[in-house]
Amino acid sequence: MHFFLTLNKDGSVGFSPFQERINQDSKVTSYLCAPLSYATIQAIQEQLQQRDPFGFWDKGFSRKDPKHQILKILKGFGWNASDLTWKENSPSLEFGQDSLEDEDQAHEKDKEVEKAFNRLTMGRQLSMGDLRRLARQLKSQDEDIKKLAQFNVEQGSATWVPAVKPVGNGWQCQRCGEREVEEWPSQYEMAATCRSCESIGPSTSLGVLYRDVRSLLEGPSEVIFQPHWELTEAQRIASEQVFEFIKDPCQETALLWAACGAGKTEVCFPSAAWALKEGKSVLFAAPRQDVINDVAPRLQRDFPDYPLQVLTGTSSVKFQGGGMVLATTHQVLRFWRAFDVIFMDEMDAFPYQGSRALEWGLKHALRQGGKILYLTATPSSEGLKAVKQGKMQLIRLPARHHRTSLPVPMWEKSRHTIAPNGCTGAWVSQIKSLRIQGPVLMFVPKISWIDPWIKCIQRCFPSWCVDGSYSADPERSSKIERLRQGEFDLFVSTTILERGVTLPGIQVVVLEADHPVFDERALVQMAGRVGRTRECPAGSVLFLSARMTPAMRTAVRWIEEQNRLAMELGLIDA
Amino acid sequence: MKEFWKGAVKLAQTLWYEELQTCVICGDEGDLVCPTCTTDYLHPELGRCRSCGKLLLNEKTNCLDCEAGRGPKHLDQVTAWGHYSGGLRDLIQNVKFEARPRRLKEIARPFTNWAISQLPAVDGVMAVPMHASRLAERGFNQAEVLASAIHWELGLPIIEGVERSEATPPQMLLSRYDRLHNLKGAFIVREPRSIIGRTVWLVDDVTTTGATLEAVAEVLRSSGAKAIYGLCLAAGMEKILVPLGD
Repeated sequence: MHFFLTLNKDGSVGFSPFQERINQDSKVTSYLCAPLSYATIQAIQEQLQQRDPFGFWDKGFSRKDPKHQILKILKGFGWNASDLTWKENSPSLEFGQDSLEDEDQAHEKDKEVEKAFNRLTMGRQLSMGDLRRLARQLKSQDEDIKKLAQFNVEQGSATWVPAVKPVGNGWQCQRCGEREVEEWPSQYEMAATCRSCESIGPSTSLGVLYRDVRSLLEGPSEVIFQPHWELTEAQRIASEQVFEFIKDPCQETALLWAACGAGKTEVCFPSAAWALKEGKSVLFAAPRQDVINDVAPRLQRDFPDYPLQVLTGTSSVKFQGGGMVLATTHQVLRFWRAFDVIFMDEMDAFPYQGSRALEWGLKHALRQGGKILYLTATPSSEGLKAVKQGKMQLIRLPARHHRTSLPVPMWEKSRHTIAPNGCTGAWVSQIKSLRIQGPVLMFVPKISWIDPWIKCIQRCFPSWCVDGSYSADPERSSKIERLRQGEFDLFVSTTILERGVTLPGIQVVVLEADHPVFDERALVQMAGRVGRTRECPAGSVLFLSARMTPAMRTAVRWIEEQNRLAMELGLIDA
Repeated sequence: MKEFWKGAVKLAQTLWYEELQTCVICGDEGDLVCPTCTTDYLHPELGRCRSCGKLLLNEKTNCLDCEAGRGPKHLDQVTAWGHYSGGLRDLIQNVKFEARPRRLKEIARPFTNWAISQLPAVDGVMAVPMHASRLAERGFNQAEVLASAIHWELGLPIIEGVERSEATPPQMLLSRYDRLHNLKGAFIVREPRSIIGRTVWLVDDVTTTGATLEAVAEVLRSSGAKAIYGLCLAAGMEKILVPLGD
């Protein structure tokens, strides 16, 4: 989207995306015929506002001609003078009778679209592509949506922002904060495209973002919160601490470190209900879609009739209303200073972990004075460092609801390298004894090991039903469903099953646990698959490797520490 | 300090490792255009309709539409690098709608090689012009980027002088009939002197009916151009050749 630069009667420099509107605006004396990107207009406004250091020379003389100054700035950006012409504005305020009648008829529909537009864009940060999508959703024209957006900007309830903005000697994407962008020579000046957030639509220095600065909620309201569960003792303690944190004006961030399968999400619900009643908007964010799809029905059940926005890359309705939002971290990039409370689940999971863009997006989706609570079973080293430095409050949830301790992994040292060339060694009999306790989930560090290990186990135990899967497996979801049903005796998998699945009675074996892909977080998560249900609260975890790595040591230490803490607090039975 | 080490590692890698070549269309490691993409999208085994550039069986010289007289008439020959489908379509859309003009630079070499193997030598290259309003929005004219790539590869001069005076709706959204009539009077010659007696390659990103190329060729011809050859990144395919379900 481009804008026309206008010179106003009061000497100020303005802009409008609509040439025909300028022609009707009596405040405008002249405008530049060549349309400019918003980044350029902003740069011109900034440069004109800068005080001229040699201004005192001009004292007594007439002020410099703004047209001349603007052309000079544009030439500096690489424009040719021949491409830049000024047009004097002579406002024509003649309206035909017909057009007024037409306007009356269309008025009713316009009002509805305007109302919907304002409801769906609160707290949003939208690209032109997003606005076009919104126009389609509202069955309206792109131009009409643009006009509504421009109207809100003029009223001060929204702003335009260049999608990628020149900062210092470089650029910065205003949607995701990325500074490493792809630069290219555009028609008149250098331009840049952000690659970091391109998966949710292009962001370039020629484009704009529409930022709505209104809050998602207008004020305190009635919220019906009907939990369909009862908090366990461990959850109750953590929930109270979360509530204290949300109310405490001093702390900005906190970390809820929970044991795998302890029910950390529900711990946040009472605080969310309180925040909504107070008129504070709430975001539940997670890096992966399946977590969102898992939490959505739970929130809908416990907050009956409350409008909940569920936003993932595959949501069919892209624009929804309501003060509570459940979104993947990519979708959070479409919000700007919108939330008072953010619950960020699985902060250490891909793609959030290590993504500067998503972290930036989450922080900028928070309103001033807002709170972020990170939820995880395996905190990142940065998170733990922040806790140590006192920058982040730590809340612990060390016990599962069935009051049984977490299974501590056992290490079986393998003398030979572990390769799928025949099941030798003592651990084969151990796998056999694990199978007596329940179905076995075998984690391997690489995809190429899956097939050979399936064959190898089948040779050793011909009567067993054995299969395996990996990320790009086309039958992945059907196989996992069969695994849930307990159809397999042994299932070989890569780390795809390390999170988010509950398999009753499952036992875990990690082959080559000393492989670099298995960090302490992966190991804790894999061990955390065991004993998650009330019916099968215990089980075994076996790490097989030639050596013990620091990651394995840390994983065992973390699990033992959770158990110790739970024991001290009397949250588990001995 | 961290930045310094990052830079040092990058430098060391450039010195010690050969940079991996990836396919410009699908991104797989291997050749500049991998064998799969060559077979799937470039179809060097197929012929091109001389009038509109459409991909067709090798033994034919014109597609059914052009044989029936429904094709362009002012162009001496038209050729297209590949079929507008799959990875090649994604590449072109990525360039145009996601502001990635740099990707065109990556295909400059194989595209130019194709052009010199198919078309006679000329005085210069000319890009199908874009209307100022769309140019302001997009920031670049993909046809001009292609023409500039050919200029750098072959040293052929760029010929200017035609302008798009009307902002017409995108051809993509129109029917065959509307495409042919959409462009009436859309182009004007501003500099006839640069065109008179010249032979040119007229470059665009995609051609379907050849209507855009034809509209430009018509004004070029009336300004005295001697020979006009259309050159596109991608074109459609003769209907009988399109596999079911594509």
